[in-house]
Amino acid sequence: MSKPIGKIMVYIDGTEQSITAAQYAICLASFSGAELIAHYVINTKAMEDLLKAKIFLADEQLEYERDMKADAERYLNYVNELAIAKGITITKKLSSGSVNKEIIDAVRNERIDLLVVGELSHIRSRRDEFYDETERAMRSAPCSVLIVKDADRVWELYESLV
Amino acid sequence: MALINLVEEKIIKIPLASKDKPDVIRELVRILKDAKEIDDFNGALKAVQDREDKQSTGLTDGIAVPHAKTSAVTRLKLAIGISPRGIDFDSMDRQPSKLFFLLLASPNMSGPHVEALAEIAKISRSKSLCNALVSAKNAREVVQLLTGD
Repeated sequence: MSKPIGKIMVYIDGTEQSITAAQYAICLASFSGAELIAHYVINTKAMEDLLKAKIFLADEQLEYERDMKADAERYLNYVNELAIAKGITITKKLSSGSVNKEIIDAVRNERIDLLVVGELSHIRSRRDEFYDETERAMRSAPCSVLIVKDADRVWELYESLV
Repeated sequence: MALINLVEEKIIKIPLASKDKPDVIRELVRILKDAKEIDDFNGALKAVQDREDKQSTGLTDGIAVPHAKTSAVTRLKLAIGISPRGIDFDSMDRQPSKLFFLLLASPNMSGPHVEALAEIAKISRSKSLCNALVSAKNAREVVQLLTGD
């Protein structure tokens, strides 16, 4: 029988929740021996929408894209350090486009068994305009999805890893 | 969901008192100052004015989205102002702007800033929601409209 979880992908978006998800994913990788990928998506689709809506100037779009790439690299490096500290190897994956589509494509292309995401924010609006991209990916992912909650417990678990 | 988490009555003003663009920018930043969301009023105001100097954020159909990155804030800040009579904001269609979304972000928060702006862009495409917002009688009604309650 093959391992139920051979490859885990954790989605990182710079939120505290996604960092907690990364800590939990590191624990899972440590316990299961699964391969671990940390994926950050730069939401260039949103930036293109803003340019089309004339909310962004062209040079403003480039500036934000640069800033977002720097943020993405910073967070992926941080998650990498978290993994190294616990003797886990992590593959950093950075892509850009529509968050939902990039996550789903990565799950398919990388043959991911388990997608790990941070706790979703409370639903404060029932309006379609405020849908959550991560929630959309969670709903449409072709693999099992784990939503990580309880940051304190996860931190204790992560800290207890040798 | 970046935007909706910022929506609360204290950052909404109806009706705006301003009659022209410089005043309305000042009034919107003042909403955040009065709500104790920012300390550095002048720093925030200058950032928004500098962005407006490059190109007006007055869109079409009565919507304006003044925004800026500024170290005057450490988190994303939103103010909503509504002027049912409209204010000349140098908009793309030369029509008065009635619905104003002011968004301020710290320089290292580009991701949430872009997400929140994208959500405003989605709101701006919903004519029925925009009309309802402009017709809202008070801040509570705006919150209810945006939360869908």
